[in-house]
Amino acid sequence: MIGEARQSPGGGAMSVAEIEHELGKLRANDDGTLALRSSVLNLIVVTDEDSAPDVTRAVSNLAGRHPARAIVLISDPDGERNVDVRISAFCNVRGGGAQVCAEQITVHAEGPPANHLESLAGPLLLPDLPVFLWYPGAFSPLSPEFAAMADLADRVVVDSAAREDREETLREMAAMVGEKEMPAVGDLQWVGLSPWRSLLADAFGSPERSDELEKIESVEILYAPGGECRALLLLGWLASTLGWSPENATRDGSHRRVEFSGPSGKVSAELSPDSPDARLRRVRLRSPGYSFQVSRHRERAEVRTTVLRGEDLAAERTVRLGSFDLGVLVGEELRYRGCDEAYEAALRTAVEVLDL
Amino acid sequence: MPDPGVVVIFGASGDLTSRKLVPALYELASQRRLPMEIAVVGLSRTEMSHEEFRKKLRETLEEHVSGGVSDDVWDSFAGGIFYLPGDSKKPETYEELKGFLKKLDEERGTQGNRAFYLSTSPSLVPTIVERLGEAGMNEGENGGWSRLVIEKPFGRDLGSAKELNEEIRRHFDEGQIYRIDHYLGKETVQNILALRFANGIFEPIWNQHYVDHVQITVAEDIGVGTRGAFYEEAGALRDIVQNHVMQVLCLTAMEPPVSFDAESLREEKVKVLKAVRPIPDEEADDYAVRGQYTRGWVFGEEVIGYREEENVDPDSVTETFVGLRLFVDNWRWAGVPFFLRAGKRMPKKATEVAIQFHSSPHTPFAHDDTEGLEPNVLVVRVQPEEGLSLKIGAKVPGSGFEVSSVNMDLLYGTAFLEEAPDAYQRLLLDLMLGDPTLFIRADEAEGAWRILDPVMRHWARKKEVSPYPAGTWGPEDADALLERDGREWRRP
Repeated sequence: MIGEARQSPGGGAMSVAEIEHELGKLRANDDGTLALRSSVLNLIVVTDEDSAPDVTRAVSNLAGRHPARAIVLISDPDGERNVDVRISAFCNVRGGGAQVCAEQITVHAEGPPANHLESLAGPLLLPDLPVFLWYPGAFSPLSPEFAAMADLADRVVVDSAAREDREETLREMAAMVGEKEMPAVGDLQWVGLSPWRSLLADAFGSPERSDELEKIESVEILYAPGGECRALLLLGWLASTLGWSPENATRDGSHRRVEFSGPSGKVSAELSPDSPDARLRRVRLRSPGYSFQVSRHRERAEVRTTVLRGEDLAAERTVRLGSFDLGVLVGEELRYRGCDEAYEAALRTAVEVLDL
Repeated sequence: MPDPGVVVIFGASGDLTSRKLVPALYELASQRRLPMEIAVVGLSRTEMSHEEFRKKLRETLEEHVSGGVSDDVWDSFAGGIFYLPGDSKKPETYEELKGFLKKLDEERGTQGNRAFYLSTSPSLVPTIVERLGEAGMNEGENGGWSRLVIEKPFGRDLGSAKELNEEIRRHFDEGQIYRIDHYLGKETVQNILALRFANGIFEPIWNQHYVDHVQITVAEDIGVGTRGAFYEEAGALRDIVQNHVMQVLCLTAMEPPVSFDAESLREEKVKVLKAVRPIPDEEADDYAVRGQYTRGWVFGEEVIGYREEENVDPDSVTETFVGLRLFVDNWRWAGVPFFLRAGKRMPKKATEVAIQFHSSPHTPFAHDDTEGLEPNVLVVRVQPEEGLSLKIGAKVPGSGFEVSSVNMDLLYGTAFLEEAPDAYQRLLLDLMLGDPTLFIRADEAEGAWRILDPVMRHWARKKEVSPYPAGTWGPEDADALLERDGREWRRP
């Protein structure tokens, strides 16, 4: 991408007017002309000191595809009271010299202001554009701080696997999604599932196999330790889409068995941890006549789909899984505006499974 | 270049003199926009010598002019600054002033021209005007001119504004009276006129055929600070809405004037005020909402509520927020609601006019593809960073035909390549030049009060005010005001 990063020299405590003025100056070119700013969204990111460099990198990678005003809030409630502002812009030269600038405002908030981030982010938002709120790390969906931030947003993007207690996170998220006041929610664990979901759906694509969907008897999901959220969401998705209701569950360490009642009888599911090199290793669905499997290559980011009729290979295909870079995942989420009903149903079912 | 003359400031020991008037005159002088023979005479009750007055002004000058103060420029300018201690109620003061001004005419060549700037408490205005008239200072000396500048608030309601106009006109003609609303001196506010009337593309769509509704926002992030006592008397309606907000409404809604001379422009503004649908007293709540800020957070800082502010009644029902829903009943605007709001302790300082257009009548795209697509909005932004933005629907790159909103934002280059002059510079220069275009005519002031009178009467009877936490866009009632028309407030 042709472009240039521009850094404002200032910093420290700044007023909203000073910040806007500095951003305006960054749009001025050397020849005295002004870059036009065309933006499609606001992106607020709430993070901490340790994750800030990675997050900032991901945000600047988004600038090309999603010209935005990014407000990166680095929060440290335990620190000494301080608010420090840094400003940069990334101006992208398109043909004819016209420029499009994406802007980034980084605010370090320490002490009490860190508990009122909404008062810092709100005034910096661009009018008329949707607001995405991204928590790359741990977050508490039911806290007043989160609610105040969510109030600013049209869509909240989180990572349900970011916290240690993943089950509790899923429960809290399901409660959050149920609230009317909450904006739409996106989950990076869910975005990561999207190629898996489409590959599984493809496996049932041909007319003679589509009937098998109603006859599924068992599901096996192999996931990496730490990939439990993704596995549960995938199971939740299968169950909610295919009309299975969870009946009972047993667990042995991190190995889980779940019984569902489906439209044509019992469905048993097994979730087992596997090697740590891929968050999802393999998904296998069986019906009386068929076995459908999608599995990831051990080294390469490739997945192989196989359909067996009895012992015979009925269909086979290997495709690239695509990048799971943080920026790519978040970028996917920024394409959507409204509620993702499939996700919400999957999340609710996953929590029903947890609560059995 | 204006004629030589004297600017006499009543209430010269006050804030406005050192913060705005003298810095503006200093800047004008340093830019060679005033004649050499200009003089400034300060008058108030405080005992001070000329030299002490100059010293006092010099001390705070640096804070109020951009780009530093040159000692040489100041010294030459300060040579024309004088001070007269005196009680503005007593006739003797005016005899003394008259003699002093005559002396200045002889010594500095100020040619008998005088501008009396009334920067005093509003209650003193009628007395000063009367005394000036009695002393014969409502006319310049030896064929010179005499002008009178009156600061807002211009009256407290329609009745008092009318009375005040009558009292002043007993001694001064309308042509001599300059009612100042510094908002009109702002480059950025004048740019609303430039946008509308210097561009051919906007005017054809500037009407009810294309416009769904208009929102005017004048938001401040600050609280009342040390002005509690003043604010208790005024409130947002009198302090901001009756003057600034109504002026912005006029500039937005008016018909194109035949020319930009004072009478043509002001005539069109008055027509807008006359066309505003009167608010029935008993239905005032459907048209107007008031709010008052409580404790909250503004840009990372915790701030106190209005009732906790210095010199504010702990049970005060004074409004710090006003939301209005008005209709301009004329051919151009029939049926288009105008939503106006002004408030303190909002999340940020922002002044803007947003024109929201009707949605496209039919979209050939599938509903799912236009998720996030909203009607076009044209925003004239006065602050922060003066500019113009347009929200348009555009195709999202990719193989489908997904359409989404993009915001195109243009900053007016002058916003930072050159610091815009302070509003007072422009207005003081116009005053000296005798151009009242950007000042308020008597019928404009009265017209604005006429619209708001029913609201004030209703609020005077009503004993409550809706609270809103500092750092938010006003009380919930304000949202309800728009919901009844199926609209919602923008986030500026």
